[in-house]
Amino acid sequence: MKPSTFRIIRNEIQMLYNQFKQAITIPSMLLFYGVTLIGVFFVSLVVSSLLSFAPIISQLGTLLETTIDRGMFFGAFAILSASSVITGYFGLGPAAIITSEDENLLLPAPVKPYQIFLGRYTRRIVRKMAFTILGILAIFPLLLSANILFFSIIFILFCMIIFFETNYFLGAMSSYIRLYVGQRYKSPLRYIVVILIGLVMLIPAIPSFTSTFTVAYVFPSNAFALVITEMTGVFALDVPFLLGAGLQLMMYIICLLLTASITGYDYYEVFSASKGSEEIEGRFSKVIRGNIDFSNSRFNDPTVWIMLKDFWSRLRSPFQIWKYIYAVVGMIFVLYLNLFHPVWFRPLVVPPDLAFAVVPAFVLMLILLVQMSSLTSMLSFVDEKDNVYLLKASPFKSKDIVLAKFLLSFMEVGIAAIPACGFLIYIMRVEGYLALITLAAPLVILFTATGVAVGAYVPVMTNDPKTLPVPLAFSYPIINLSLGTAMVLVVAVFADSLLVLIALPVYVLGLTLFFLASAVRALNSYK
Amino acid sequence: MIQRANVEQMKSSELLRLARVLKLPILDRKIARESLVDKIMVEIEARNKREFIEMKLNSPAIKIENLIKRFGKKVAVWGLNLKVNPGEIVGLVGPNGAGKTTTLRILTGIIKPTSGSVEVDGYDMLDNPIPAKSAIGYIPEKPTCYPSLTVREYVTFMARIYEVPNEIALVRMRQFVDMFQLDEYLDSYIGTLSKGNLQRALLVGIFVRDPPYVLALDEPIYGLDPRGAWNLKAYLRQLRDEGSAILISTHILEVASDLCDRFVIMNEGSVVGRGTLEELLASQKEARSLEEVFLSLTGGIPE
Repeated sequence: MKPSTFRIIRNEIQMLYNQFKQAITIPSMLLFYGVTLIGVFFVSLVVSSLLSFAPIISQLGTLLETTIDRGMFFGAFAILSASSVITGYFGLGPAAIITSEDENLLLPAPVKPYQIFLGRYTRRIVRKMAFTILGILAIFPLLLSANILFFSIIFILFCMIIFFETNYFLGAMSSYIRLYVGQRYKSPLRYIVVILIGLVMLIPAIPSFTSTFTVAYVFPSNAFALVITEMTGVFALDVPFLLGAGLQLMMYIICLLLTASITGYDYYEVFSASKGSEEIEGRFSKVIRGNIDFSNSRFNDPTVWIMLKDFWSRLRSPFQIWKYIYAVVGMIFVLYLNLFHPVWFRPLVVPPDLAFAVVPAFVLMLILLVQMSSLTSMLSFVDEKDNVYLLKASPFKSKDIVLAKFLLSFMEVGIAAIPACGFLIYIMRVEGYLALITLAAPLVILFTATGVAVGAYVPVMTNDPKTLPVPLAFSYPIINLSLGTAMVLVVAVFADSLLVLIALPVYVLGLTLFFLASAVRALNSYK
Repeated sequence: MIQRANVEQMKSSELLRLARVLKLPILDRKIARESLVDKIMVEIEARNKREFIEMKLNSPAIKIENLIKRFGKKVAVWGLNLKVNPGEIVGLVGPNGAGKTTTLRILTGIIKPTSGSVEVDGYDMLDNPIPAKSAIGYIPEKPTCYPSLTVREYVTFMARIYEVPNEIALVRMRQFVDMFQLDEYLDSYIGTLSKGNLQRALLVGIFVRDPPYVLALDEPIYGLDPRGAWNLKAYLRQLRDEGSAILISTHILEVASDLCDRFVIMNEGSVVGRGTLEELLASQKEARSLEEVFLSLTGGIPE
């Protein structure tokens, strides 16, 4: 290793340390980190007290062995590797680690591209490890309740990180293949390569390669699956699980070194090109959108105008259109599932022993699905980037701006949540689901409001309004999970009384107004 | 080379750090500042006698030949030829989208040319990027830097990347922190700096190396207050006189005419005019200033 690689790594660690120092010395950052950790701890405490996980875990092995076969199990991990390779082929590869700061400082400096890669990668892995340790501590009650040995779970998590990181390297190498082939061949047939490398990832999972311990176990997906099978005893071959971990580690190191060695100056060009095209409207969305010009709108109301601006400007981003397509196709699909109950896709059959856990699991899934759908609302202010200051300086009232952001986000979260909820109803057909699913609407309202408030606080906490600070991003789902759990608790407490018709709206609207008022307050305190 | 005046500028804590870096045996519990400076200078002069090699740039320090850069179908730079010799400041001027920033990005090895060659201090940027990049210093159009580093950490990092000896980095950091009035921000995080102070921090990061330099400066005056701008212009002139080669891209024609020895005027990716101010004025009969030359070459002087 040349000394400058060490210097770059040292600098990356210094930056990480400084970020940590900043986080623990800025009260608002510390507050959000605290909310995240205590929130996860609280949620895991509640979940573990609601359900006793031990029976679920003890039966999981039997359930797995009766539901799927060994080939499917190995195939699932192979599909993960294949999808990494395929998405990596169309991705930026090692160029994804380059930032605008690197572009101006390290790219013109006498530093080799692989050194920048190694430096940035070290930071990524240290950061990931730190978050994993914090995460494990936060879900400790859940682990305790499930009677899972602490070190076993740490070991599995370690192997999982190694597996995902190896997949990341496979994706990076796949992007290099694209770069290499693209420089030599211009025919569209060159994209056949991606199918071939995808197949290379899938073939080793064929049962004839995995039914006994063969050389196919050097493939990261097989090695990780081996660790799990041998540790849990499900589909076990009676091979030491450490062998799987050793193979994983070996492949990880080989893939890391290979990725470092393919990281060349070509990736500077790839980064530069990606930077230039990030704001360009997607070709497909342009076709769908046509020639509509929202500046010709007949609406003069500031709220409507901001909503139109956000709607059309988001529609111009390359991936937004796919969200609407997902909403439409997803809605049609879940309608089809619920109306026709196709034989090729049956709902989940829950074993009688686990019936007690189905309703809480349904509610938990509902909260999680709405939470996942509501991420857009958190980005409603962040997507403005530096224009957020222009918006703040515009002759609009802060409450109109917040209301506009809330209403558009509500619409977007709603259309994303409907297919997810429809799918949940079908897959977990629990008794009383019609009453339970009505909770989706208050959850959407509440989570959208928290998302808008969290997004509005970004420029208060940092002077880089386009980058969501880590504690904010992490605390958002935790705040929502806590609020969702509390809402379910309110409903459960008042379930037998008409008071529920008052308690639920008061809870939801009260908190929604509180979060929207917080967003207005945040907007008014921008520096 | 470290001068006594620069060492005298340093704060006491920095002097002690410098003494430690130089491995000076300080046995007294108390030491007078003047005596410490003397000891440091004795050691530095001894080292200079042993290790000093006078650095000179190759001529031309910047050589761009037949440079073409395309982004897809769009031509950003077309057939650019440019030389900058040591002891010269050349102004690259042109309207928005003329290809100035792209030229500087190719010159600094951030992007590759579609065709043509770029040499810095005699090293080809494609074949020999590391020595070529070691020689060049770059200030981008939009100043950005790692927000989680303090100014001191950033400057130290740059010194390490460019393999500047610790003692030189310490002395030069103090010299330029004072020149650009950054002292109160030395331990501030870069993410909290204003644009002007960020630009100053980037300049200190470049000047922490020993001259002579090959500099590619994209709007270097951007964000600087009048004193900072004046200090920078004076220092750039000094560097030129000492043998550095400087290429400045700017929109501010006042700065260009004040600072540059020669000009290259670009429009829509091509060079439309080049030469000294006198040569340009002679070529454009109706023009009486650089501004009018510029306007006449890039679309005509408005009525």
